[in-house]
Amino acid sequence: MTQSSSVQRSGQTAGPRNDRHLRTISAVATKQDYDAIVIGGGHNGLTAAAYLARAGRKVLVLERRAVLGGAAVTEEVFPGFQFSVCSYVVSLLRPDIIRELDLPRHGLEILPLDGTFTPMASGDYLWRMNDHARTRREIARHSRLDAEAYDEYAKAMVEMARFVKPLLDVAPFDPRTNDPRQLIEMATFGRRFQRLSDVEREHQLKLLTMSAVDFLDQWFETDVLKATMSASGIIGTFLGVRSPGTAYVLLHHYMGEIDGAFRSWGFARGGTGAISNAIAGAARAAGAEIRTEAPVARVLVRQGRAEGVVLAGSGDELYAKVVLSSLDPHLTFLRLVGEHELPSEFVEHVRHYKLRGSSGKVNLAVDALPDFTCLPGEGPHLRGAISISPSVDYMERAFDQAKYGAYSRRPYIDMVIPTLTDPSLAPPGKHVLSCFVQYAPYALASRNWDTEREAFGDTVVDTLAEYAPNIRSIIRHRQVLTPLDLEREFGLTEGNIFQGELSLEQLLFLRPVPGWARYETPIRHLWMCGSATHPGGGIMGAPGRNAARRLLGVA
Amino acid sequence: MASVPHTHDAVVIGAGHNGLVTATVLAKAGLKTLVLERAPRVGGCATTTDLVPGFRCPTLAHRVAFDRAVARDLHLERQGIQIIEPPAHLFAPTDAGPGLTLWRDPARTARELERFSMRDAKRYSAFLVSIAALAGVIRSVQQRSAPRLDEIGMADLATLLRTARQFRTLNATDAYRLVRYLPMSVADMVGEWFESEPLKVSIAAGGVVASAVGPRSGGSGAALLWLAAQGGHPAAPGWPVRGGPGAVAEALLRAARAAGAEVRLSSGVQRILVRDGRVAGVVLDSGAELTARLVVSNLDPRRTLLDLVDPVEVAPELRERLRHIRMRGTLIKVNYAVSSMPVFRGTQSVDAATRAAMTSGCVRLCSNLDALERAFDQAKDGQLSDTPWVELTIPSLTDPDLAPEGQHVVSAYAAYAPIARGGTRPTLDPEVAADRVTSIITRYAPRFDTTIIARQVIGPHELERDYGLTGGHAFHGELALDQIFAARPLLGWARHRTPIDGLYLCGAGTHPGNGVTGQSGALAAKEVLAAERGRREV
Repeated sequence: MTQSSSVQRSGQTAGPRNDRHLRTISAVATKQDYDAIVIGGGHNGLTAAAYLARAGRKVLVLERRAVLGGAAVTEEVFPGFQFSVCSYVVSLLRPDIIRELDLPRHGLEILPLDGTFTPMASGDYLWRMNDHARTRREIARHSRLDAEAYDEYAKAMVEMARFVKPLLDVAPFDPRTNDPRQLIEMATFGRRFQRLSDVEREHQLKLLTMSAVDFLDQWFETDVLKATMSASGIIGTFLGVRSPGTAYVLLHHYMGEIDGAFRSWGFARGGTGAISNAIAGAARAAGAEIRTEAPVARVLVRQGRAEGVVLAGSGDELYAKVVLSSLDPHLTFLRLVGEHELPSEFVEHVRHYKLRGSSGKVNLAVDALPDFTCLPGEGPHLRGAISISPSVDYMERAFDQAKYGAYSRRPYIDMVIPTLTDPSLAPPGKHVLSCFVQYAPYALASRNWDTEREAFGDTVVDTLAEYAPNIRSIIRHRQVLTPLDLEREFGLTEGNIFQGELSLEQLLFLRPVPGWARYETPIRHLWMCGSATHPGGGIMGAPGRNAARRLLGVA
Repeated sequence: MASVPHTHDAVVIGAGHNGLVTATVLAKAGLKTLVLERAPRVGGCATTTDLVPGFRCPTLAHRVAFDRAVARDLHLERQGIQIIEPPAHLFAPTDAGPGLTLWRDPARTARELERFSMRDAKRYSAFLVSIAALAGVIRSVQQRSAPRLDEIGMADLATLLRTARQFRTLNATDAYRLVRYLPMSVADMVGEWFESEPLKVSIAAGGVVASAVGPRSGGSGAALLWLAAQGGHPAAPGWPVRGGPGAVAEALLRAARAAGAEVRLSSGVQRILVRDGRVAGVVLDSGAELTARLVVSNLDPRRTLLDLVDPVEVAPELRERLRHIRMRGTLIKVNYAVSSMPVFRGTQSVDAATRAAMTSGCVRLCSNLDALERAFDQAKDGQLSDTPWVELTIPSLTDPDLAPEGQHVVSAYAAYAPIARGGTRPTLDPEVAADRVTSIITRYAPRFDTTIIARQVIGPHELERDYGLTGGHAFHGELALDQIFAARPLLGWARHRTPIDGLYLCGAGTHPGNGVTGQSGALAAKEVLAAERGRREV
């Protein structure tokens, strides 16, 4: 019963009272070096730190690596070539964060990513652009009906996104709560749901439960269109495009907003690390202290309360009124806190939390641009996303292989060439190619990732070569990141890019642990603020902002 | 407008178990009720037929879980239904060793499980308790009409509040389990509890029955829980009944006739008559017209509203939504008459009585979750699974009247039949499928193939053609999260009504639609009578 009583306690803690975590010196007298220590200098940790610092708190951010950003990082992997090593596009960064932290002043500049280009096995292609009329003509080339449906679909999805979006910027309510505030939030949500039209309600229900392909089948007939669109439903999850529950993430595509342009995607000038650096700049400007190469070995817990952290290596102890962890729950609770400090049921939930990474990343430094057989030469089609998703069956087969513990022989690849938009990332005339690759299951049935790494890289290049045969000859350097590398290098347990699958049973009040979705933990004064918390992964910053605001008692 | 006298108050199309329940309730309420059945017998999916003289076998469904409250209201006990509670729920032979039996006695099962995993043995009874708690909440949802969500009336509000209250009776652990398990895959769900493969796959199979889902498909958790609410074992719900499921249908027929309903067999309906947006009657296959104020269809929603009603009566948008109800049947039914009791591997060394007890429930033939998933993969690609998974029962073990002494009938479900994609149904030679099923059974029960006296196979095509199941789907539509409760058959139409005044749906395609329970029929009758009362008051 420890958990359920604590659930109620946390549920009943009304917002403004949380602030006492920061204001009052705790009863057990210890020295307080900081008001708050944030473990992990990823974009969420930095966002939380920035908000706390702006509220006048003395904040320290501890980052294990030498560079800030976590998975939103730019690194010069090969001399002269700058890569957005992990995360490579931005769409969901909360506009409130951009505004409130004044990120443009700290160097954030978003450049548009124009469209999605899908080469097909037949030698044809599908090219959707930001230009609405041209996209319509292009889709009509494949199916007139689909061109009509495309507009209807977009309209429906934007409506749905509008409905869901308010949920992103607040801590999720829990249907078991007795907290009057959450009850009101729940009732308000219920009213909003009820006010939807019949059709909208049905879309909403289907989005939450159907497979991406089944959902798209309701609108479209063109296979390649469905394949490419459905890809956004599987990114970062261990599910196939025909698996129920994958439709929901289609919506994320329509929730992006950059400079008010609803649903467009973009690059950050200087790579995604520039986003993290801008947030770090805002945090520093507000007085936060940020240390790199400062790995945390342990969270100091005494009598069920967090008192600070112990640094690895030096063994230095740093004390704070509050500790926030932007790491995933496995690292936070099983590694840094320790099972013995936690209720057994909570630990079991943490163990059940599905991280299982399903993707890898291949970064290529190239001497020239890839030349696609279906649309030769340079052109604007290379400036957007290039999606290797030629058919629904192709996507599903890629998943089928992964289910049994093998990486896809022909994977789904989402490639971007950021140097076409931001040439500063490579020497003149040269380019960087960023390839997101799925499926690459963390747990291989036979062999291991250390021996399979290069073979996996070859698979990616071979796959690309089927559409752009010059690819092999233009590669100067190749960086292959397997799920194991993502875990080792970036602290993403099991290589899951979202710190946990975005599947329905791990969203909202269930993320990361049922009853503990409002950023608090069973350890008093220990909070969570990473992608493993609501609303999840992607360069959104919402977990960091929501956690900080809850902690400050303003939300 | 001159009012033409109707020949009947209510016509029920189809004498499946739900249609008969509806007819009985309506007749008891004083409505002049006529049931029209296309086949020469009643029962729909709940029938027992002679395979060969002397061998009676459950034709389709082999277990029933008739709702107790419905049975009580219809006085079915007077009609002599005898539920059998066999000593075992499930038996899963393994490639080596004595196989796994899930006994009705949980303590005995726990001892049995110790051979596979001490951890699983310890957790098994907690699993049953927890799932029973979740199933309890779901059952209370299934026993009441689903709410409308568009115009929430007092009744809908009451339903929603009652559901919320039920949910809140669960402790925190179970409450979170319920919301997490619904969208989850059964593979993940059993993975949270157990580690031994025979146990995991035996339970997981309960979430993939009849539908186009594999154990790793999201939402299969919901199907498992939705069916588990019937009672019995959560993974193999329901019970055998003396005389087979046909005995339930016969009892329902007697109850309907006792209540005053007329039941006409071999009377197919070719069209539902609609005048001025209101149902007017039906046209029989013979061309004869029957007029009625009310028509209640036991057929699935697609067949009813797309095939039997003139297209001009159903708005194009609604037709489109109906067409998108997923009804991709994957079940192949194979029935056998055999000359001796199948002896499964691992049971050769036990005495005949124990052996009979072990196989008295469902026998599930599938070695592990991956094998089940691979069977699904092939079906997904439009092929028949090389190694289908098979669930069989030997009804004559618990009801010796079904076969001559020493001989048996074996009722087998097999999956997966190739899954239809993009509106084209893959062809399937049922005999090829049956051969494959025979070889699987023979793999686990050596020499089974040599004991076969007669065999009957019913694939998705036959289910559609001969039993009227659109898409060959046994439940009149997949039990997926977007197709149950307030969304069954469609959001906004969960209350058994249709856009045509006086035309109702009462089959498994309506809430709750969960097996041979009679609940859909009972709830439909309730809706019809409520509307009738409203009509009289106006």
